[in-house]
Amino acid sequence: MGDIGLIVQVVVNGIFLGSMYGIAAIGLSLIFGTMRIVFIAQGAVIVLFSYFCFWLFTLLGIDPYLSIIPIIIVSLLFGLGFYYGLFKEAAALEDRIGSLLIAVGLMFFMENFMTVVWTPNPRAIVTSYGFYTFKLYGINFTLVRVIGLVMAVLATIAVATFLKKTLIGTAVRAASEDVEATSLMGINPNRVNAFTFAIGIGLAGIAGITLATTYSFDPMYGIDFAIKALVALTLGGIGRVGAAFMGGIILGLIELLGTYFVGAGWSQAIVFAVFLLALNFRPQGLFGGTASDKA
Amino acid sequence: MKDSIYTYVKTGKRNIGISFIALAVIALGALPFYSDVDSFFAYYLFLCFVYIILAQGWNLVAGYTGQISLGTHAFFALGAYTTAIIWLHDVTKTWYYFDPLVMALSGLVAAIFAIFIGILLVSRLRGDYFSFGTLAAAEVLRIVILRGGKFTEGAMGLRIPGDDFTSMHIYYWTALFLAILATAVVYFLIRSRIGLALKAIREDETSAASHGVHILRYKVLAFAIGAFMMGVCGSLFAYYLFMINPLGVMNLNWMFLPILICLLGGNGTIFGPIIGAFIVGVLFSYGDVYVGQIHPMLSGIIIILVMKFLPTGIMGLKDKISPLS
Repeated sequence: MGDIGLIVQVVVNGIFLGSMYGIAAIGLSLIFGTMRIVFIAQGAVIVLFSYFCFWLFTLLGIDPYLSIIPIIIVSLLFGLGFYYGLFKEAAALEDRIGSLLIAVGLMFFMENFMTVVWTPNPRAIVTSYGFYTFKLYGINFTLVRVIGLVMAVLATIAVATFLKKTLIGTAVRAASEDVEATSLMGINPNRVNAFTFAIGIGLAGIAGITLATTYSFDPMYGIDFAIKALVALTLGGIGRVGAAFMGGIILGLIELLGTYFVGAGWSQAIVFAVFLLALNFRPQGLFGGTASDKA
Repeated sequence: MKDSIYTYVKTGKRNIGISFIALAVIALGALPFYSDVDSFFAYYLFLCFVYIILAQGWNLVAGYTGQISLGTHAFFALGAYTTAIIWLHDVTKTWYYFDPLVMALSGLVAAIFAIFIGILLVSRLRGDYFSFGTLAAAEVLRIVILRGGKFTEGAMGLRIPGDDFTSMHIYYWTALFLAILATAVVYFLIRSRIGLALKAIREDETSAASHGVHILRYKVLAFAIGAFMMGVCGSLFAYYLFMINPLGVMNLNWMFLPILICLLGGNGTIFGPIIGAFIVGVLFSYGDVYVGQIHPMLSGIIIILVMKFLPTGIMGLKDKISPLS
């Protein structure tokens, strides 16, 4: 069924696509882990940063990879702003639906804001090196996708190290284990939450740059992306950075292999069917260990 | 003495309430006689009634049982598609246009789907995972409809014959009747033993189970009744659209709107969804006309503001003002 070379190519592309879902899923995982907020607006935020990247490129002529620095700074600030401006009260409530709805409202707002400002037409960044490909062992690699994967892996490692080595990172991990006990230990939950939000949105900034350089995007792409990130998160397991990233890669593989073997229209259904099966049989995620009591 | 005055005031209050509701229903029901039913205002009311049916279905599951379902649009679409398919394939041999049998069957199909995914998901998942599961099930259904070939006509959708259309009257009255019926069903269900079990599950599942409440049975029951209402509502809307395609009936708006309506009005109350529906109806139908393209942006801001400053909804405001009632 098909030749091996083509399947390997599909697998490689799946990993490239999945790495983008992966970093989006890490952001969701951190936010969900500490605050139990399903941040469905993550996809819209990613697309928003893609537009920022697009604007910096077309208006000011700044190379997309150079715009990483301003976009990360802006996205960290956005994260802090989202938490203190929108989610602070809702995160403290027992009832989670309020925070979900704030996220939905934010998504509604951003999607339509982008439609008004940037029109609903799909956009893409076309750089001089954007179509550069090279061949390795008979497989085609597109340069921008390789850079996207490298950026995603680096961001994952950076976040994971940060959470392990620094004091505030330890606090974030503690809060995702048990919020009440953490605040009893004298850790200010607001600071931890705000910090988590900033990292989550910062990762969305990186995902936005990757999206802008590799695929075309439009304002309504966000919800699709957010649902995919949610699936990736559930596949990988909540609470661990590496697991969420692996979940994204697996999702990318399922999607593209499904397209290759069954056809483009059905790949979405396969993704969700796998998601339902995973929810049913391994609600703690494929790589999760301790989260079984949360399901 | 004090006691009797209290009961007197209470029954008086209830009588006023009942007469107010009766008056409102009569006024709304008689509207087509003194106002033009093809007017925009009548369309707005029709839309509000549709919202009420959907929101009461969601309210029963989320407000009273504590299960946040994100699959409303699936049941809605299932109802609409069932109506179209029964009509086009001439299954029941009746008159089809606003046929109670077809509408009930549409609800039944949605309810059966709800029982199926309910047993699959509810038995194993709780809280957020249940929400994700319903969303995923709805997305699978969307793909099945899109790839359904001749049966669903994919993205093109099904077209039902529009020859029977004469006026908006029947739409208006059917929607009003169904909205009242849905509210009544929720009202009486909540006051029965079933309602007691549902509320016990919402408050504390483990405790309810230890007192002999069969968790799975009651959760699936509430889910199926809610889905039945959504299915019937989808069927009603199919008669309105005539053109049933995934873009129209499987729009994610059909999932967000009932949630927004219930939370705005007050989740887990009888009148909350009704108040919420009228407000959201104003936002979405009049907003479309007067502010045009930017109205969804404003709706987003309003959702955020409501959730930030009014997390218990408008019905919750009452408790804040008079904690005695």
